[in-house]
Amino acid sequence: MKDNYDINNYTYDMDRCIGCKGCVWVDHVYMPGVRYGVKCPSNAYKLFDGYAPMGREKIGKALLEGRIDYTPEYLDVMYMCQLCGACDAGCKRNLDLEPLSVLESLRVKAVKDGKGPMPAHKKVAQNIAEKGNRYGAAEKRSGWITKDTKISDKADMVYFPGCSASYVEKGIAQATGKILNKAGINFMTLGDKDTCCGHPVATSGMLDEAKAIARKNIDILKATGATTLVTSCAECYNTWKVIYPKMLSKNFADMGYQVIHLVEVVSKLVNEGKFTFSKPMNIRAAYHDPCRMARQGEPWVEWEGTRGQWGILTPKKEYRRGTFGVYQQPRDILNKIQGLDLVEMPRMKENAFCCGAGGGVMDAYPDFAMWAATERLTEVQSVAAEAVISACPYCKKVFNEASKANNMNIKAYDITEIILACM
Amino acid sequence: MTIPQAAYKVLEAIVGPDYISQDPIDCEAHTPGPNGFETDLGVATILKSPGCVIFPSTTEEVQKIVKTCNRYKVPFIPISTQWWSGRGAAKVEDALMIDLKRMDQCDIDDKHMFAVVGSGLIYSQLQEEAMKRGLYTTIPGGGSQVGVVANHILYGSSPLNYRTCIANRRILGVEWVLPDGEILRLGSCALDKDDYLWGEGIGPDLRGMIRGFSPGWMGSMGIVTKMSVKLVPFQPDKPMPVGISPDTAVELPLKRINWYNFILPSKDALVKAMYEIANAEIGAGLTKVPLFWRAIAKANNKEEFWELWDQESEETVAAMNVLRVLLIGFTSEKQLEYEERVLQDIIVKDLGGKQTRTKPTDESWVKNADSASMWMMCGGYTSLEFDFEAISHAVAKGVDCSKLKKGYTPPLMKAYGDQGWFQVGDYGHLALFEFLTYQDPDDEQKHKVDEWSVALSKMNIENRYYTAQLASHKPLFLTGPAYGPDYHKWMIRFKEEFDPDALSNPPGPADTDLFIQEAEWMQKVKDWPAPKIEANKNPKFE
Repeated sequence: MKDNYDINNYTYDMDRCIGCKGCVWVDHVYMPGVRYGVKCPSNAYKLFDGYAPMGREKIGKALLEGRIDYTPEYLDVMYMCQLCGACDAGCKRNLDLEPLSVLESLRVKAVKDGKGPMPAHKKVAQNIAEKGNRYGAAEKRSGWITKDTKISDKADMVYFPGCSASYVEKGIAQATGKILNKAGINFMTLGDKDTCCGHPVATSGMLDEAKAIARKNIDILKATGATTLVTSCAECYNTWKVIYPKMLSKNFADMGYQVIHLVEVVSKLVNEGKFTFSKPMNIRAAYHDPCRMARQGEPWVEWEGTRGQWGILTPKKEYRRGTFGVYQQPRDILNKIQGLDLVEMPRMKENAFCCGAGGGVMDAYPDFAMWAATERLTEVQSVAAEAVISACPYCKKVFNEASKANNMNIKAYDITEIILACM
Repeated sequence: MTIPQAAYKVLEAIVGPDYISQDPIDCEAHTPGPNGFETDLGVATILKSPGCVIFPSTTEEVQKIVKTCNRYKVPFIPISTQWWSGRGAAKVEDALMIDLKRMDQCDIDDKHMFAVVGSGLIYSQLQEEAMKRGLYTTIPGGGSQVGVVANHILYGSSPLNYRTCIANRRILGVEWVLPDGEILRLGSCALDKDDYLWGEGIGPDLRGMIRGFSPGWMGSMGIVTKMSVKLVPFQPDKPMPVGISPDTAVELPLKRINWYNFILPSKDALVKAMYEIANAEIGAGLTKVPLFWRAIAKANNKEEFWELWDQESEETVAAMNVLRVLLIGFTSEKQLEYEERVLQDIIVKDLGGKQTRTKPTDESWVKNADSASMWMMCGGYTSLEFDFEAISHAVAKGVDCSKLKKGYTPPLMKAYGDQGWFQVGDYGHLALFEFLTYQDPDDEQKHKVDEWSVALSKMNIENRYYTAQLASHKPLFLTGPAYGPDYHKWMIRFKEEFDPDALSNPPGPADTDLFIQEAEWMQKVKDWPAPKIEANKNPKFE
């Protein structure tokens, strides 16, 4: 069985990088000009090419060839990256190489070689192992549930709130429950078996631990008899839809469950006229595409085969290029809300600039995460929006912190909160 | 591998600690290759990792850095995007790489229609800023991601040059840090350093000296830090981006801009069509389309490309004379209507051409140019032969290049007799010819691609074809004595005069000569006299 996290499976991808920096620049068709021309947060933050995917690939190749060794600088290069996947969509516009898999696999190798992850990641992993949540919180995970939220004992749909909405951004989980209730959709939770999806463990390269969490969670879901898992978190969404099957070397289609984000549920109902908004919201807002649901939102497609002359693959590979991510659904919802003036930022959809929080960056490099969030908020200001709306609790949290720290007076909302306020 | 520490401390004081590094990890990331433009060829064997990387933000910082390099005898190499990765790399140990990406100035003078740009600015950025103001530039074949300054020095070839002329003729004022750190200003800014209006200034026009011969000095004659480039009036409706990657394009305002595709009954008819369109003074862009590009456009991936390409034959390629024409109603919708009628008269009525379908969008040339997709088919690509001459020259040269190529296929991709890419420029007064080289970098015979490059030079000399690649891909001491007279001596004289210590990207302009000297497999084709090239010294011609 192919190990999708073995860096040796990606030597061609590292070798064939041509240095076009499609991983760094906004798609030239959408290039907004001098400002906001770069979509890679780490290369916008640190100009050295090592902080761009193309440079990381060269460094990784040099490591494999024994020309360099692990150093603190090497680990910074590999971990000072949100794994936001902007590079992946950019590279696959022309070349179909796999820069995101390269970056993930180099982290896995660092862990296997006893050099990674970063100390902050180990602490998060320890929290998850001991308490079942990334914060190490001792409280019950179900603390978000209010009395007026109707949760079924048995349903075909399971709501998986994730760590952030369970402990920090509880309003998102509460809004999700109420929205599902209003839509007349029965749902259940995993109850006392609800736990972290393992996203922080997987992205830090701790593959064995992440696989164990995946298997456990999948078994828990199967035991409920439910076939659909709904999330309000882009990271959880991505973990169940992409990371689990990728780690287990299976097609997502063969996993035996469906994963949907709440915006997919609501947008379908909105477009069918079955979900309406009764209250206006007078606000000019920009929608921020969360990386792991947007350009990384396509399901994992397993491929195993050989590469021949000219690099031809047998059998053909079905690429995840970010084309079919969740882009339009949240926009469809927000456009239906009276008074809400939805505007696009210069970097949007597959070219969106990450909020800065993902890939373990918020844990290990909080200054960098805050810088990226602030950079994104300047983009919100550039289109004269007073608020930014996302569909991931981590985006909301880092945006609000950056706005407060910089006196930017921009409010960050989760889309669930907007839906709840207007229904 | 580092630079002298005394020099490092001075350099660090110039830019600050965040913008300089000699860490091997950082230096490795700034080492070209293993693949990219030219680095999948043998010349990659002479490329070295830099000993230090630095990011200046102003001309003053560049000047101080270059003077420091002179004081401590540190070789340096400037890069803007490092896209031409084979040349944007040190050929000597312990060199300083001066990465100019922070210098992304773009000041547009709407009224006089020019932009003052820094070395770190790329084309798609300039095009967007220009189009916001009702102006445009031409996106070159090098791609939207290439540096505007470097590409203007080089050529800036594009099908849209048909109307606007090649980019290097749109250079106006220039600010140039010479290899010793002194500043030379050209054009109107020679009189007033802030006046970039015009390319003419006092004394002789030195713009030719920036370029050296054909594609420039590639960093071996100092650093152009700022340049004003001419912009051209566009029509009023801005093309808007549409689609999700990889299928993104700009939607054309069809009453003002449109592409037209035609298949002509013969190559002669295609050439005649180009002349007649130019003669009628219509059109904004004009190009023959190499058939493999059509297959790239149709294919969803590499495998599908080969399924399509393997169905071709010498007959199908010979019969596929595809002409692509861009019309723009610069002044009005009626202009477009008029030009469309003239175009139909010329191609369909007079020459028996057949119009085929086109998309209402533009994927390449208006805002974007997908040069990166050239690597999609084979994994390796380099443009080893191009020139600007007359179209008759382009046609004849294409035939000979095609014949010659057969002896080098494989490792070159089979092309079924394709005779290259050509298009007219400057309303038919010149033509761009380019013969594209695609190869598998993993092929056991890959060194034959290097031999092919030299064989092209010899073919040019023997048949007296002009070539633009005299001192870039090609050995200076082979082409120099044959063209000129003795242009290689002039280049070396210039180099010695301005850079006696050979600090600015040595051993340019003779780096191909160094590669040929060092590569064992090239000895069987090296049959011309040349001095011994030393990587850290200026070449000698005695």
